[in-house]
Amino acid sequence: MTNSFAVAVAVARKDLRAEWRTRELVPALAQFVILALVIANFGFQIDARNAPSIAPGVLWLALVFAGLVAFGRAFAAEREQASLEALLMTPASPVAIFAGKALAATLLLVGCEVVLLPALTLFFGTPLTVQVVAAVLLATIGMASLGCLFAAMVARVRARELLLPLLTLPLWIPFIIAGGQAVQVAMGAGSGRYDQAMALLVDFDILFLVLTSLAARFVLDE
Amino acid sequence: MNKYEKAAAAAVALMLVAGAAIFLYAPTDALQGTVQRIFYLHVSTAIAAYGSFAVVLVGGLVYLRNGSLVADRFARASAVVGLVFTTVTLVMGMLWAKPIWGTYWTWDARLTSTLVLWIIYAGYLLVRQLAEPGRQAARFAAVVGIFGFIDVPIVHFSVTWWQTQHPGPIIVNDALPPEMLATFFLTMACTLVLAAVMVVIRYRIETLADGAEQAMAERVQLVGARESEPKPVN
Repeated sequence: MTNSFAVAVAVARKDLRAEWRTRELVPALAQFVILALVIANFGFQIDARNAPSIAPGVLWLALVFAGLVAFGRAFAAEREQASLEALLMTPASPVAIFAGKALAATLLLVGCEVVLLPALTLFFGTPLTVQVVAAVLLATIGMASLGCLFAAMVARVRARELLLPLLTLPLWIPFIIAGGQAVQVAMGAGSGRYDQAMALLVDFDILFLVLTSLAARFVLDE
Repeated sequence: MNKYEKAAAAAVALMLVAGAAIFLYAPTDALQGTVQRIFYLHVSTAIAAYGSFAVVLVGGLVYLRNGSLVADRFARASAVVGLVFTTVTLVMGMLWAKPIWGTYWTWDARLTSTLVLWIIYAGYLLVRQLAEPGRQAARFAAVVGIFGFIDVPIVHFSVTWWQTQHPGPIIVNDALPPEMLATFFLTMACTLVLAAVMVVIRYRIETLADGAEQAMAERVQLVGARESEPKPVN
């Protein structure tokens, strides 16, 4: 158990260090989400009146597509250099390796959220509260576990760029429903209850974390 | 006529019987009129789709456990059939919704989750097609099938979990007159038979396709081995 944990942390540190040295993904993702906000501004004609109802949608759209890029890239470098096979040949358990990669990809996506959330507040004037941040982070956990699993899977399949969004997006919808509701309520629009949506997010997080950790073995051990 | 054709003919005959019950035996609904007759097939195909996706789930689990090709083929066969029945459910629902709700589509929890279900299993079939045939395709598809099944209870309980426009459960609530109930159970039984027959036929097709693929692979190997032999000098 502690051994697996150490492996996961080591793999995550490796990925984060590679990102720190190359500084590829997070700046690109940050630019991507800013561009998404600019496009949304012109697409929706956002003003102070309609911002609270439109901004949550823009937030989730930007986040979902940034997430697809982040998780897709998580296994791209390993594939290009065929280093995943080498990693899997070590006695470390595939699940621990997967957990490490998922952890790193999640942290990179959180890095992108650090840009996205303040930018949303800056451009659209919506409140940046603890409630908003908590909902986004909770959704990120579940989305990342599933996204990384499917990214690991499609990394070795033809047409992976096509397949990753097709597989991942429909299964992310529970997070977008619950997270979307929570953020809408936190931003002062929409109906429903914040605590209910958050409880649903926690439920889905637990469900997806358990299922991903069970399935990871079959996806990586191929 | 082989046994598959006989089974198919029997299933079609059963569906005609169900059709006769729906249009001739069941009484016309007092509020919705004749449109209500869509209900019988709409709910039956939805249940058949749930059942098919349950087979995909179990097939995937069994395959991951012991690599059984039979389980994988059943999963493959049921995914196609489930997708077909989900399509029928959605189309039937839309045809009912237009006169009753005044629109073909609304972003209601049950409609949305059913559409998502359709997309998930369409993705399942895409994985099958794009992954390397054999072990990889079967494993990846099994994983998608297991995750995809999460949506089935969401579809089913969406009418109780969220406020929806979609009519809630009426069978278990005993809200139907006996003739309607009898028609519904007959239609459901016939639809389930149809689904089972479709799965069996599809299973046969998958078996033949697997055999053809293997024969092809062996042939390629054989030709390759012959070509790599040194040519006789004359």
